[in-house]
Formats: sequence, C-alpha cells, structure tokens
Amino acid sequence: MATEIQEIDLKTDEMIINMGPQHPATHGVLRLLLTLDGETVKHTEPVLGHLHRGQEWQGQNRTWFQYQALIDRVDYLSGMFTSWAMARACEEIDGTVVPPRAEYLRVMLSEMNRITSHLLWLGTYLIDLGAMFGFPFYPFREREKLFDLFEEIAGQRMMFNYIRIGGVVRDPKPEWLDKLKRFLDEFPDRIDEYETIVTQNPIFLKRTKDVGILTQAVAKDYGVTGPCIRSSGIPLDLRRTKPYSVYPELKFDVITFDKEGDTWDRYMARILEMRQSIEIIRQCIDKLPSGDIMGKKQMAGMRIKAGEGFSAVESPRGILGCYVISGGGEKALRFRWRNPSFCNLAILPELLKGCPLSDIMAIFGSIDVILPDVDR
Amino acid sequence: MTDEKPSEAEKPEDKKPEAAKPAEAAKPEAAKPADAAKPDAAKPADAAKPDAAKPAAPAAAAAPKPAAKAPEPVIPATAGKFEQFLKEHGIPCERLPLSLTIETIALSGDVLQAALRLLRNSSEVKLDLLLTVSGVESNDTFDSVYHLWSYSNLDELVIKVLVKKSDVPEGDLPAVPSIANFWAAANWHERETYDLMGIRYANHPYMRRILNPWDWEGYPLRRDYKQLVDSLNDKNPHSMR
Repeated sequence: MATEIQEIDLKTDEMIINMGPQHPATHGVLRLLLTLDGETVKHTEPVLGHLHRGQEWQGQNRTWFQYQALIDRVDYLSGMFTSWAMARACEEIDGTVVPPRAEYLRVMLSEMNRITSHLLWLGTYLIDLGAMFGFPFYPFREREKLFDLFEEIAGQRMMFNYIRIGGVVRDPKPEWLDKLKRFLDEFPDRIDEYETIVTQNPIFLKRTKDVGILTQAVAKDYGVTGPCIRSSGIPLDLRRTKPYSVYPELKFDVITFDKEGDTWDRYMARILEMRQSIEIIRQCIDKLPSGDIMGKKQMAGMRIKAGEGFSAVESPRGILGCYVISGGGEKALRFRWRNPSFCNLAILPELLKGCPLSDIMAIFGSIDVILPDVDR
Repeated sequence: MTDEKPSEAEKPEDKKPEAAKPAEAAKPEAAKPADAAKPDAAKPADAAKPDAAKPAAPAAAAAPKPAAKAPEPVIPATAGKFEQFLKEHGIPCERLPLSLTIETIALSGDVLQAALRLLRNSSEVKLDLLLTVSGVESNDTFDSVYHLWSYSNLDELVIKVLVKKSDVPEGDLPAVPSIANFWAAANWHERETYDLMGIRYANHPYMRRILNPWDWEGYPLRRDYKQLVDSLNDKNPHSMR
C-alpha cells in the first residue's frame, strides 16, 4: 500500500529585524530596518540621523574662519576634501587667486588623504567580512606613517584644517618631502602584500564575486558617484571629466571597468586608486613650484564677497559638493553639503533586495559609507 | 557700502526687514565688481580648462569652452543656453545674475516637471545627473535649488524654484512639486530639505523627516527657528536627556 503523501504548505511570515545602530559593522551608527523572508532580504529601510550635528546650521552661525576648522569633522576620514570643497566654493565667490604652489600642495595632501581613507576602508571591510586574523592591522601600519607626515605638516593627524580659503597654511620642509618620497617608494610593495593576501583569496572571492551588482541604470538613477560608479563602467571622475585645480597638468587615467561592477570590482577600484594616487603624488613632488602658499589674508574677521558658489571635488567616496551663499558678511547665509556618502547610501535598499542576510555587510561595506558624512 | 553691509548680513536671524534689504540690494552691485575682476582674476583657472578638456574622457571632449578665448564679454558665450532652450519650448523662465560661472534660472513650480522632462531627456541637452536638492531661505522667499550636471558633457545648471513667503498660507508649508519621479536620488534630498528647511514636496513617495526624529518640532535651518529644549541646560521635566 502506497503511503499517501500529503503536501503541507508551510508558510513563513515575514520578519522585521532591526540592525544597528550599535552594530559593529555599520561604520558608525546606522540603523537598518530589514524585512526578511527566511534568510532573504525583502526590503530595507535605513534610518539615519544618529550622528546629526547640524553642520549646515553651524556653517551659518560661525564665522568663515571658525567654520573652516570645523568642517574636517563632516567626513573625518577625508578632511582635506571637505576643506578643499569649502575653500573652492568661497574662492569662486571671492575671486581669490590661489598660488600654484598651494594648488600643488592641495593635490598632494588630498591624494595622501585618499590613500589613508582607502586604507582604513580596506582594513575595516575585511573585518566586516570576518577576516579577524590580524590582516586589518596591515593597512593601519601604512596609514600611521601617512598620519605622521600629516601631523608634521598640518599639526593634526586627522582634523587637518590645512587647506584654507585662499591657499594652504603651512609650507613643507625639504626633509618632509624626502620622507614622503621614501614612503612612496615602499608603499607599492605594501599594496602588493595586501593583494597577495586578499585579491585571489578563495574565501574573499566567494563572499564578493557576483554579490551586490550595481547596474548602470540604478547608479545613474540614484546619483551614485566615486569608485562605486566607476567600477560599474561609468567614467565619472571629476579630476578628469571636469578637471579642477592642477589635475589637468598631471598624467593619470580614469579607472573604470568595462562591466557592471560587483563588490569585488569596488574593492579592486580602490586598490587601483591607491596605486594611482602614488603616481599623482610623485608627479606633484617633481613639479612642485616655488612661491607663495596663501592668496588671502587669514584672520578671524575674514569676509567673503556677496554671491553664490558651488564647488565639487572628487573625494574618496565620490563627488563632494559645497554650495555656499554669502551675503558679504563674516558668516555665510547658507551652507549646503552634497555628501557622497549620503547619496551612495540611498542605493543600499536597491542592492540588498533579494540577497541573503549574510551578504548585507559585504555589500554595505563595499559602498564605503562614513556615517558622520551621511548625517552631518 | 562694504563697511555697513557685513554688519547687516551678519545676523540673518534678526527678523528686521530693513536689516536684510541692503544686503539684498547690494547683490547685483556686488556682483558687478566681481564681473570686472573676473577676466584677470579668473584667467589661470579659465586657461587651464581647455587643456583640461583634452585628456578628459572622450565623452567630455566635445563640450565647447569659449569662455577663455574672449576675455571681453563678462558673461560666457554659453550663457543663457538653457534659458533659451526652455523658452523655445514654451516654458517661462528667467536667468538670475547670481553666479558668473554657472547658469542659474528661476522657474515657477508649475512648470518644473515639464522643464525637467525636457532638460533630462531631450537629445540636445542631457542634464541627467542630479547632484543635490537644497532648500534656501532668503528674505522673502523659500527657494528649492536643484544642481543639475551631465554625465556626457560639461554642462551644468542651477534651477531655483522660488516660493514667496507671502504666498504661503498661515501655518502651512511652502509647496514645490517633487522630482523623485525623475531621479530616485531626489527622494532623500527632498526629505532632508523638508526636514531641515520645511519645504513640502508634493507627490513625494515618502515625505518624512530623515535626519531628525519623526516627532521633532520645527525646521532647524529656518531663521525663525527656536529650539524648544535647551540641550545644554535642560529644564524640561519630560525630557529623557
């Protein structure tokens, strides 16, 4: 007698899970409200604002001089770029001419900052993926060396306040340049070292290959910028497509891949960018002209002419925009930041749709979001 | 003029209408000296641009850069390009003399959708990258400001939708149509503008506060904003801080 097989429709309910804000892999305090069907993510809602400090409000209630020192905190991993965006917007309104030496120093220090930012990303991303064997400290070793150089020239390791409206604040000594050259000579070997461990690591490949594919249509729709969009095959790099400062005089190519990028491609884009930054800094050292480094008198009661200015720089995370409205006084009438993290984070629900729970951190980490930059 | 103006503009939170007016009136004048200074001041930057276009990505190379060649006209030759384009298609708009380098046009909220559909999708103009949506409070208007760029060329445009404060009903928020149907990117930017500046975007899919808690009262970037609870010296017995 054949046994009767009864089909039972086992229905599972959708479950809402709260991830964060204290989750160690959320790079700050991001809260994700996940709707799960079993292990599959159906819907994600990021809840922002845990680090909202009213940076835009402070811009309107502090003098230009005071606010300059504050904006390094908007994105604490790439303070040079926030300073630079603000300085360029104000210079555009004011008509300030920045001396060429200052421009070269800006490019040089910013590219160094790009390397430190990517190094931190590399270390923490590997932790996000569960690589707890000590690898994360390899990138930090080189990052420390760069921070020592920053400390020497700017007086601060992370909150530089080095790029000011009109120029830069301190001139490097020849010994400093020698130290930087020595670092640049050894750094490519260190990148090789990371790549030996990570790039073709089978576990890493399994976690990242074909995970979180960012299509060009979605990327354009959400205004994604930076390594994320370049690894998806859109060559949007402001340093080349809309060049500013002295980037036109430097030789380098936009790093893009000819397919729609997955998580591994975003990793590779950043590794290649670090190598590219080394070349850019080398060129800057060779071309560094002599002369003045400041085109505007720095004083507490500094004023900017009335007008509007918008500037954008290519930060490690994407296009960082600064929109300034000045009434001609000591303070701005309106400060508005276009933060790459804020815009890039918006694609997270799109990328997470349908992926398993375990991929969330692999995808979230790969878009390189800094929460103070999101919440301001 | 330069002596008195800063003191006025220093305190935008002062609700004195007289205090704010001189700064407003000074704007076109202040822009003129900047105009005059532009050709000599901006030369290095402008001169760098044509070189810049060459090594740029092939898509970007096609864009014209006439500004550097003729130092004579203050407004670049591409000036008013988008204004003309929109007027040809029957959309009323007006160029604002706010910035020298970027074209800024003012639109009314009714034609915003039609204008953006043209600017984004037409074959001549392809402004398909929405950088940011910002809210600005000026003396008598609330402005919703859109920064548009292009993926394929160097064009950029600033669109301002001005809502007069006198047109906003008492106890209501200024309303501007949402553009989240064109760019998903606009979704969060508009939520942020609503949260901080109190501009309501009509037909927005999810018009909630994004940075502040949902039960927050007031719009922190407005000039008349008063924080109800002093977070440093908290006397509110119901507060959890």
